[in-house]
Amino acid sequence: MTKITRVAIANRGEVAVRIIKACEELGLETVLLHSEVDRGTRAYRMATKQICIGPATTSESYLNIKANVEGALAGGAQAVHPGFGFLSENADFAEACQKAGLIFVGPSPKATKTLGDKVSCKALAKKLGIPLVPGYEGENQENAFLVKEAEKIGFPVIVKAAAGGGGRGMKLIRNSSEAKEQIESAQREGLSAFGSPKVFLEKYLDKAKHIEFQIFGDATGRVVHLFDRECSVQRRHQKIIEEALSPSLTPELRGQMGKVAVSIAEAAGYQGAGTVEFLLQDGNFYLLEVNTRLQVEHPVTELVMGVDLVKAQLLTAQGQPVFPEHHTMVPRGHSIECRVYAENPYLGGVPSTGVLGLVEWPEGPGRRYEYGFEEGDEITSYYDPMIAKVIVWDETRSRAIQKMIRVLKDSIVFGVHTNIPYLIEILSHREFVEGTMTTRFIETHFANALMAPAFTPLEKAGGEAALKNLATGSREVSGRDSFRSPFQTFWRGV
Amino acid sequence: MKIPFEFEGKTIEAEAQYVKGQLWVHVGGRTFVYEAGNKKTSKNKASAQKKTGDVAAPMPGKITKILKTKGDSVKAGDQILVMEAMKMEYTLKADVDGVIDSMNCQMGEQVTLGKVLARIK
Repeated sequence: MTKITRVAIANRGEVAVRIIKACEELGLETVLLHSEVDRGTRAYRMATKQICIGPATTSESYLNIKANVEGALAGGAQAVHPGFGFLSENADFAEACQKAGLIFVGPSPKATKTLGDKVSCKALAKKLGIPLVPGYEGENQENAFLVKEAEKIGFPVIVKAAAGGGGRGMKLIRNSSEAKEQIESAQREGLSAFGSPKVFLEKYLDKAKHIEFQIFGDATGRVVHLFDRECSVQRRHQKIIEEALSPSLTPELRGQMGKVAVSIAEAAGYQGAGTVEFLLQDGNFYLLEVNTRLQVEHPVTELVMGVDLVKAQLLTAQGQPVFPEHHTMVPRGHSIECRVYAENPYLGGVPSTGVLGLVEWPEGPGRRYEYGFEEGDEITSYYDPMIAKVIVWDETRSRAIQKMIRVLKDSIVFGVHTNIPYLIEILSHREFVEGTMTTRFIETHFANALMAPAFTPLEKAGGEAALKNLATGSREVSGRDSFRSPFQTFWRGV
Repeated sequence: MKIPFEFEGKTIEAEAQYVKGQLWVHVGGRTFVYEAGNKKTSKNKASAQKKTGDVAAPMPGKITKILKTKGDSVKAGDQILVMEAMKMEYTLKADVDGVIDSMNCQMGEQVTLGKVLARIK
């Protein structure tokens, strides 16, 4: 096996920083494969070497397989870590890396294809007897036949355009009298929006929880699970708050779901970190999908399990053992992660872009911050709005919630608006505190923009004092060109 | 910069900084933009332009759909165009009734914050 001394990172932002840190600890050098507009980022400043692979547009840089492979080779890397998103679940990319003699840090292209493709993943699950969301996804598209199938599944049923996505071509059928019309409507939308009238049916789970299991296949082929996470707090299928372990599982359910998660990974010959996602409703669980990569919310698992998943990925890629025998897999305490998005919570979550002013993450026991941008960096509109993740650990769930609220209140981000006030509202909501939230939590309780609160007397006094004591232009931040920390060049030069 | 101030007999510290001409303040567990004499946190430019015939970009992004052309009559609430930023889609609607006087953007164009994309008369 090729010895790895330098790892290319085909990603950006906080996950690129996370990978660089793991590499540094293992004594590996790094090459950041970045787009033209990502020079002013923390990962760029931290990496051993930087190679620009294209313009801001993702299809020409972060999603460009050829540019990433060539960049990794030019940078002298022996391995490529894809992070999450972008090319991380692209089997063609994994294959292109292999062909170029690069180690892809992740599962084999074959395992990625088997589990990453929704149809083949469901086929494998069916073979293994794993429960799936009941539905019909056959070739027969006759209306009368589909209505019968919907009745068989039991209402409410969702009809979805097979080629669709993002909520379009998706209709809810509440009872048999509206089935015919809703199916026709989904077929029409599918045809006009995606060029295909083909639809499939799925039982609509209206009070489901999103539960997922972290799995890991080591270099010897052994697959283990590192327990579960709950990510029911989602907005338009975008997760906002995640935690480990789930407050919703009984020991029996946890045991069953863990076994199922390991079984499907084993059947696919899975190596590296992965996640098996389930929906849980009325005590029944259904396999949703398998993510063949590191997950955004991996830190909550790391904190309760006492492991380092990114290091484990890199060690596995080098054929080395991970999670030693004496490391008992027992979860400890509770961990919560909040995703900090650059958006204005008082304007319904409109993205907020611009140059960052002061950024301060208050230190303390059981707190962890993953961030990719610092003072003077610009948040652009080209990429995902997630600018940081705040993760806490405490002995119990209620203490972890209490700690997270305090930590968010003490965190400072100037220059762009963030969803921090929105996160605090969610964490304080009765349903979240009780742990009974479902995937419809946000649409039910936070459908509207937060009301911008009037200034409290304290805030007004603070604002007035700042106005009086700070002259415009004093230590003003106006972007990298005019703002430079004296330490930056100094430290990088050491 | 830390700004100490007196409040109800105690000395409290606020953190404050000007970023691009806006005064950002963090005190009492909340971050806000402070403007003299304002009761509420300052809103961004897009919402300040309410109830005009101008349809302006509420954020920098890419135009992905143009649903109206010059001369079309529209009612308040009608969709004018769709733009995409940070992987999300936003539909821009008319604030007022009228006729599209001009469309100032093209499909696929990358536009800046506040650019007037359409004008309704």
